Amino acid sequence: MNPPAAIHPPTAIQLTDVRKSFGRTEIIRGVSLEIRKGERHAIIGPNGGGKSTLFNLISGKFPVSHGTIKLNGEDVTNARPFEINRRGLSRSFQVTNIFPRLNVYENVRCSVLWSLGYKYSFWNDLNRLGDVKERTEEVLEQIGLTARRHIPAAVLSYAEQRALEIGITIAGGADVILFDEPTAGMSRGETEHAVNLIRTLSKDKTLVIVEHDMGVVFDLADRISVLVYGEILTTGAPEEVRANKAVQEAYLGVDA
Amino acid sequence: MTDRAAGSVRNIAWASYLRSYGLWVLAAVAIFALPHVFDSRANQSMFGQMGIFVVFALSYNMLLGQSGMLSFGHAVYFGFAGFISVHVMRIIESGFAFPVVLLPLFGAAAGLALGIIFGSFSTRRAGTVFAMISLGIAELVGALAFFIGFFGGEEGISGDRMSGPSLPGLSLGPQIQVYYVIAAWTLVAALLMYAITRTPLGRMANAVRDNPERAEFIGYNTQRVRFRMFALSGMFAGVAGALFAIQFEFLQFNNIGVAASGSVLLMTFIGGVGFFMGPILGAILVTFLELELVNVTQAWLLYFGLFFVLMVMFVPAGLAGLIMRHQPIWRAGILHKLAPAYGLALVPSLIFAVGAIGLIEIIYFTSTRAGLNTVMSVYTITFDAVKPLPWIIAGVVAAGGFVLCRLTFPTVRKVWDEVFLEAMAKLNR
Ligand SMILES: Nc1ncnc2c1ncn2[C@@H]1O[C@H](COP(=O)(O)OP(=O)(O)OP(=O)(O)O)[C@@H](O)[C@H]1O
Ligand SMILES: [Mg+2]
Repeated sequence: MNPPAAIHPPTAIQLTDVRKSFGRTEIIRGVSLEIRKGERHAIIGPNGGGKSTLFNLISGKFPVSHGTIKLNGEDVTNARPFEINRRGLSRSFQVTNIFPRLNVYENVRCSVLWSLGYKYSFWNDLNRLGDVKERTEEVLEQIGLTARRHIPAAVLSYAEQRALEIGITIAGGADVILFDEPTAGMSRGETEHAVNLIRTLSKDKTLVIVEHDMGVVFDLADRISVLVYGEILTTGAPEEVRANKAVQEAYLGVDA
Repeated sequence: MTDRAAGSVRNIAWASYLRSYGLWVLAAVAIFALPHVFDSRANQSMFGQMGIFVVFALSYNMLLGQSGMLSFGHAVYFGFAGFISVHVMRIIESGFAFPVVLLPLFGAAAGLALGIIFGSFSTRRAGTVFAMISLGIAELVGALAFFIGFFGGEEGISGDRMSGPSLPGLSLGPQIQVYYVIAAWTLVAALLMYAITRTPLGRMANAVRDNPERAEFIGYNTQRVRFRMFALSGMFAGVAGALFAIQFEFLQFNNIGVAASGSVLLMTFIGGVGFFMGPILGAILVTFLELELVNVTQAWLLYFGLFFVLMVMFVPAGLAGLIMRHQPIWRAGILHKLAPAYGLALVPSLIFAVGAIGLIEIIYFTSTRAGLNTVMSVYTITFDAVKPLPWIIAGVVAAGGFVLCRLTFPTVRKVWDEVFLEAMAKLNR
């Protein structure tokens, strides 16, 4: 019934000639990229290559210097972060970015409020919102912090904070999720746990992940883009990228 | 669900409500009984004033403690609503049939309206920009109040709370009636403000205070969150302003400017911005000191300043913070173990206080009455204030007390930490 969709799966994120300069230096130098709906897409590349900056552009933290960004077919170029989030995109941060004085439960609860439609309500008693409670507890269970719910986020261990970071990101139920190095600084066991978590949580969703651990990348990703000095060197399935000469020289060679 | 199950669920809900609102019932009883225990007119008036400033300080903490906005101009909303209320009182006097006890509704509307106007542009950022804008607005409005007829210029304006229709048995003549009207409004306003802390907006205000960037990535426009809190805070400040108008029947330019704004900041901070109870304690204590110190010493403003500096330096979490830090120790049942340490801290503190008070009194005396009478008395000791000896004695006592404090406080802190750890260990077991 739907042959065009089979040939061209609908896109979740579409970047067209996106550029970003800080002062005189151009950090993102004309990136065009299409993230398909439902795919798990990894972005790899050397330090300082512009991966986080690209995320900051897509999620609305910085305005672009040039180019357009579309989310689910709608133009979101230079929209504010909350507008982009309300249209179904959520992101995590490379450096943990949580609400330090609120406890774990409140951190997650804040992240589900908008998506459940409570907006700026000052007439609903939080503790009587069954849907909020249910969703919050579900997320806490998923990220394994149920037992730590009353602890202020600031005093969690590093790995726990990273788990909370993931929880805050997915709690609102966004269907496009960007993870910026979710496993950075984790031990091998913690990494494995986090990757399994991400795999479960991103089921039926579009996932874009920046990750340095090549094992994780080749294990998780449907497609991989290589970003080097603000340009996409190549995009393709893991085997293609692994076989690509330029990539081996620019990135993988150094790593292996 | 069976009837019995529904009933038990309802019981649990009741129990949880009682736990979070039980303290309120207690407060209500105390509020009712106080003016009968201390039943002089002056005391009843003081309790009324405490209620007014409890509402004002709580509204201020919606900004400072809950949303992380440091305002130097909150009296603008309080004062504006107060002036509006006095004007409405005058209109009532000339025939408008509106009960004065409901004036806080006008106050709330006035505070809300002004909060919406000034909040619309000042809440774009928190931090220094917001603080400076609030200061500018307070300076501006304070200056305008001096010139514009609406505020009555230097003389201020007055009204009569006994005019207009009154509810049966509520003429607002006797001070005790005024007190109960204020108390009722205080209770309602405080309950509403408490309820707001437990709503989506209230919680997001905390989130925006802690990390505005992240709040934007979970769907919230941080300016909208601040703006709404600001407008609501203006509304409750307006309620306090109207209560002020009812109690004093008079407002003047100095009720609306920077100085009045500084005073509510002081109360809130001394009480503690981190807890809902904080501003309540602060407003009660500061109002008490303001009214009572005047009777004890003319240099009360100096003491006040000193008290504030000491609180900010040594008890930045405020009274409520100080009390709450003892909670785990109290729950572990080992509060008594702190007694020796506190005794040790008390002695040098008292010595310092005695010296400092002597010094302040002498300074105040000589700087205000120099040339005329030079004989004064402190602690019933009479002496000549221009001779060096009293200065030296007071100075040495104060300095000695200070040094002793510096020497003993580390020990006190060490004991405190040990007791605290012991309490935590006990509770975690
Ligand atoms: N706000 C900013 N202002 C100026 N320069 C910036 C800013 N953000 C990033 N840069 C610069 O842009 C370049 C790319 O940084 P970015 O953080 O995007 O790299 P990355 O690929 O995420 O690196 P890493 O793997 O280390 O996280 C760096 O040279 C960085 O210094
Ligand atoms: Mg990065």
